[in-house]
Amino acid sequence: MRLTHLSLTNFRNFGRLDLPVGAGVTLVHGANAQGKTNLLEAIYYLATTRSPYTNQDDQLINWDAGYEGAQVVVGRLVAHVDTADGTRHLELRLIRELKGHKTTFRREALVDRRKVRLLDLLGNLRVVLFVPTDLDLVTGSPASRRRYLDITLCQRNRHYCRTLSQYNKILEQRNALLRQMAEQGTRNNQDVLDLYTQRLVEAAGQIFAIRARLIDTLARDVQRIHYEQLTAGNESLRLLYRPRLAGSDVDETESADWLYNHVDNPTIIAERMQTALADTLSYDIRRGATSIGPHRDDWVFQVNGRSLRHYGSRGQQRSAVLALKLGEIAGIKADTGASPILLLDDVMAELDGTRRQHLITALQQMPQAMITSAETTIFPPDFLAQTEQLAVDGGRVHSVI
Amino acid sequence: MSNVLPKPVLRLINEFGRLPGIGPKTASRLTFYLLRGNDAGLAADLSAALAELSENTQYCTACHNITEQNPCEVCSDTERDQQVICVVEEPLDVVAIERSRMFGGVYHVLHGALSPVEGIGPDDLKIGELIGRVQQGDFREVILATNATLEGDTTASYLQMRLADTAVRVTRLARGLPVGGDIEYTDEVTLGRALEGRRELK
Repeated sequence: MRLTHLSLTNFRNFGRLDLPVGAGVTLVHGANAQGKTNLLEAIYYLATTRSPYTNQDDQLINWDAGYEGAQVVVGRLVAHVDTADGTRHLELRLIRELKGHKTTFRREALVDRRKVRLLDLLGNLRVVLFVPTDLDLVTGSPASRRRYLDITLCQRNRHYCRTLSQYNKILEQRNALLRQMAEQGTRNNQDVLDLYTQRLVEAAGQIFAIRARLIDTLARDVQRIHYEQLTAGNESLRLLYRPRLAGSDVDETESADWLYNHVDNPTIIAERMQTALADTLSYDIRRGATSIGPHRDDWVFQVNGRSLRHYGSRGQQRSAVLALKLGEIAGIKADTGASPILLLDDVMAELDGTRRQHLITALQQMPQAMITSAETTIFPPDFLAQTEQLAVDGGRVHSVI
Repeated sequence: MSNVLPKPVLRLINEFGRLPGIGPKTASRLTFYLLRGNDAGLAADLSAALAELSENTQYCTACHNITEQNPCEVCSDTERDQQVICVVEEPLDVVAIERSRMFGGVYHVLHGALSPVEGIGPDDLKIGELIGRVQQGDFREVILATNATLEGDTTASYLQMRLADTAVRVTRLARGLPVGGDIEYTDEVTLGRALEGRRELK
């Protein structure tokens, strides 16, 4: 799989961009705030339909696009991808419309110029993105770890993606109902709540089971790479799932062990979550939110049996994230037989010499990669000689010879 | 604009603007079209139609569909099977089912579906009316024809629960392959449902 051409219209600070993309490593450089990151974001967005930086997708449309009071403003991302079955034409449209006094936003996806559901765009272009904020994954919030994991797993399993989006819809309805029960009392709403709870745990049983399996697969790749390549057999890293399928009185390690024993039976997992939800009902009504479920999951790293978050050095934490990224690449390769495109956003400057060298070695083995950097001096000359270089300046890209 | 145009013109532009799908530009265009009077009698016909809309329509006390007469044409039609009720979310769903020409029973319009996010609970829909109707009437079957969305499905499950202790048979519309559909291009969920709901042929 190889990206051969990218064109952007009204995306971030690009008014219009037509960019042929070569094989091997492309190095994008330029001063800050010129559009380096936006270029990687565009490729990532076409692959995952999500932005790594924002949940408000209407912000992705160029600020200057359209005139004051324009009825419709369209941002467009188009990629040509060479695959084993020929060239694919992928397109994603961001549409902002003024209807009466309300502004609406919607997205359209096209594969080979035919309209498809957004979900069907996934899997046509596979990427692994590495940004400086990923280095804080270990110490950051559970929400950021879940978001990271979900985007990664969605690229690898479409059924997971669909079930997750269904789960989130049910959860939203259930939480709205819990808030109503806090205001109006439980009498009339109990029956409806039971229905939403039933649907919620059915979807949750699936998600717990798929997540457990996918994390297990990812963990194996990450652990092997960390041990063999990054620490030369000196440290053993473990990536562990911490499912929230019981109340806070139950230890999460215990929940994880139980889950792995029942991973083939989503119905039993759903039943266990249902029991736990019944116990926390009055608490959940007071809070107006569901306190148990995959939306509260977490995952952790351990090095030599100790929590990396609490006891790891900054360097060890960075090695773990590097192993995670390399593990993602290995996983996608194993799943699909084709390498993903590696996108590195200004990460080199954040790494010390040895880790930088590991990443450069990995880069040189990638069939295709795009990296951004404010300066080129941090790269070894022999590496630079192998890269194609692009300069970005105020939303314009030109190649450097 | 507001200083130049006479008040009646502004008022009509404003009223048009309240309709769904109509922005300020379309509202002005419609208003000026009516004002120019190129189409003789259009403005008068339109105002008569609007007046009739509010004066001569009501909700049928049996099925809660919009009607001119009460009970509505369907509910008072003795040719139709008065023992089978088809439950739908909106009046337009009745129109769609009638178009299929496959249903000869009567309807019950809920006027929405359960959705806590929008603050719609059982009391906001014509659900109590449906239960009362089934308990008091002589019915063989209730067909739940709510949408195949999360909200529609939940509403159907809720109705199923509320109707559990009545003697009536409760069914749900089948779902699966669309007519003219290609199995190869059908998504997994729809195909899975189609397999679940397969029918014995012999």
